Amino acid sequence: MIGKILSNEEGSSAKFFIYSAIFWLVIGMGAGLLGALEFSFPDLTRGIEQLSFTRLRPAHVNTVAFGWLSMANIGSALYIIPALCKTKLHSEKLANFVCYVWNFVIAAGFISLVNGYTEGREYAEYREPFDILVIVGLLLLSYNLFKTVLDRKVKKLYVSVWYIMGAFFWMPLVYIVGNRTFVAMEGLNDGILNWFYGHNILGMWFTVLGVGIAYYMVPKMSGKPVWSHSLSMLGFWTIAFFYAPTGTHHLLQSPVPEWLKALAVIFSAALVIPVITVLTNFYMSMRGSWWMMTTNMPLRFVLTGAFWYLVTCIQGPFQATRGINWYIHFTQWVVAHAHAALLGTFTFFVIGSIYYGLQRITGRRIYSVRLVKWHYWLLLIGFTTFFFSLTIGGLQQAVGWALGYPVAQWGLMLPPMWLFRSIGGILMFFSACLFAYNIYMTAHEDSISTKEELDIAVPVEVK
Amino acid sequence: MSDDKKIGAKGYILPAAVVAFSFLLIYTVVVIIPDMTMVNIKASEYAMEYIAKDADGNVIKDDMGIPVPNQAGKGRAIYVREGCFYCHSQFVRPQDRDFGSKVNAGDYANETPNVLGTSRTGPDLSNEGGKMPDAWHLGHLKDPRAYTPGSIMPSFSYLNDEDISNLVSYLQTLGIKRFEDPHNRGIYEAYYPEADDAFWKASEHHKPNVDSAAAANAGAGIFRQNCAVCHGTNGLGNGPNALAMNKKPANFSRPFFKAYSDKTWYYKVAEGVPGTRMPRWKLKLEPEQMWYLVAFLKTLPQDREVIIQDYQTINDKDWETQSQLPGRLIENYHHIGAKKAAGTYEPNPGGETAGGTGH
Repeated sequence: MIGKILSNEEGSSAKFFIYSAIFWLVIGMGAGLLGALEFSFPDLTRGIEQLSFTRLRPAHVNTVAFGWLSMANIGSALYIIPALCKTKLHSEKLANFVCYVWNFVIAAGFISLVNGYTEGREYAEYREPFDILVIVGLLLLSYNLFKTVLDRKVKKLYVSVWYIMGAFFWMPLVYIVGNRTFVAMEGLNDGILNWFYGHNILGMWFTVLGVGIAYYMVPKMSGKPVWSHSLSMLGFWTIAFFYAPTGTHHLLQSPVPEWLKALAVIFSAALVIPVITVLTNFYMSMRGSWWMMTTNMPLRFVLTGAFWYLVTCIQGPFQATRGINWYIHFTQWVVAHAHAALLGTFTFFVIGSIYYGLQRITGRRIYSVRLVKWHYWLLLIGFTTFFFSLTIGGLQQAVGWALGYPVAQWGLMLPPMWLFRSIGGILMFFSACLFAYNIYMTAHEDSISTKEELDIAVPVEVK
Repeated sequence: MSDDKKIGAKGYILPAAVVAFSFLLIYTVVVIIPDMTMVNIKASEYAMEYIAKDADGNVIKDDMGIPVPNQAGKGRAIYVREGCFYCHSQFVRPQDRDFGSKVNAGDYANETPNVLGTSRTGPDLSNEGGKMPDAWHLGHLKDPRAYTPGSIMPSFSYLNDEDISNLVSYLQTLGIKRFEDPHNRGIYEAYYPEADDAFWKASEHHKPNVDSAAAANAGAGIFRQNCAVCHGTNGLGNGPNALAMNKKPANFSRPFFKAYSDKTWYYKVAEGVPGTRMPRWKLKLEPEQMWYLVAFLKTLPQDREVIIQDYQTINDKDWETQSQLPGRLIENYHHIGAKKAAGTYEPNPGGETAGGTGH
């Protein structure tokens, strides 16, 4: 019985994490879409407190951040680390157990957030019991992966291993520091801690995991080695040093100490270095083989992510400078930027990794290449619509704030932007449904391919 | 190196130590030092209080020894629970206009969890207290679009009466201590409908003679500084802001304004006009200044072209569009209107454009 629930089969935990993640992607995106529609039709769910925008927003953020992106990244890490170490995962049972715990947290967290049981701090809304379960899960996963690395059969650690190990080292620390369950401070200090956490969950968790996965996927799928190993190491160490103090750039004009703001601005600007190194490495690795994007769908996902990574990470350091923050802060521009990182970049990375990795773990071909293509184009067009409508809307808001017009006046200019954002959201939600259907059919299909067949099949043929 | 041999942590202890050290260093700089330097920030005199106190100023505690929140404190919990801070910030930046005085570190001493906010889909609420009456907040929370046309705020009609009155009580305390001007504080008290007598009593303070030319001259300056941007320099409802408004500002040359009593003028200036962008000027102006304005507004000329007989000939549609036309056009329009009335009107004679020629 226990053997059935907590499987010890190789790759079972990675599969479990990835399937759960896709389920939460559909739920989380649905919540986000409904919230977006309420901008255009504010009385859409009038009187239903669980579906009010203010309740849906934390549910959406936490479900896509912890349910979808974290779980999908963990699922990918759970097969990338053993693959790179040429060994088995230390304990599949333990990882499966963590997946149950996290699924419980996301489900119970979603229900409690829409019912108003919230901690009330952006990105850290889960209440105490869930915080503790998340930490338990993270520590068990860290233990599991570090043990796997210690058991490895190759001497040299590939850069992806560095990134993923870094993520599993930093994330428990960031999570502990950022949640009032563990570290509680009063007044403004609470705000500083809130944004230490709020930004580092991006930097020390999603970025390092996502980049680590992409560092594995790009050479693996293109068949070309990483252009420069030392450059990749430089990227890792600069991210390790520069990312952590940047959170205060969310509070640049609040009364927090000036030196703290200066530190945040300088370090945010310095983040250009890891970004440039990572992207240089990806682009140079692909030199001469960009044509592979046309035939290899997982690679196309990853490289599209790398394009959005350029957009979001060039925006980031500039936005954090005082002059631009003065203008852009408080507007929907920032929302577009945040989605460009988590959706445009890391979601694209991890989708590529799922399409590639799931074939290897299950030994089955993806059910339908046509659906993969639909998924790609709907997601890309949907997200591009979303990004540009919010960016333009944000600039309109910025004018309003800068010139001191009342909200009620410039608010009337934004409805077209809200509508375009929702249209993008509908396309993305539909693409997520196709994705889930495709993966479901893949898991239930009978045709099990041999390794040789898969090696041929991995670059998904375009007919 | 053979593939079967386990490698272990040897050789990677130093890099791992560097990672750990770097993180702890950053953590110290970003979290521990600020906490050490800021932990003793004392609550300023403007910091809001969310703990209930008895008459002697002692903190009231429940059976468990936990301080009981006061009504504002309970309202704050609703504010946090309903996620108001996702769209309303609570810090005033130096460049912000109309959000009141800046908020300093000590003012946040009792603000836990923080509700600074990172997005403004709605206005900043740092100094919201007293800007609007309780009844306005109550209605606005339940039915935002009935109070501010075009608002996208969700309706909080699902909150029960106790929650919503606590929330309103919290909103009314926001920044209220920063009203340093006793005059403003008086205005706050005068917000309540039952304080109508107080409203008129306050208005009598330094009331000038509204029929004097001197008062009207003083009012002209105040009008150009504050009102002309919407109502136009001559009060024709054609200021630059009028272009962007759905509900156009009033054109004071319309005949019915001549029927206004002094008190009606004063009340509309002081309290604003619901459903429009007309602000409540008593938040900005002294009663004396508003009386000067009244004196000036009374002197604005009535549109000469509009006489009672003419009034019948202008249909409702024209009447509506008239106020939306820029000032110069209105004059021409009335030329046309008069010609129409006299039956001598030719549309566009000799390529003459609407705004091209004068009178």
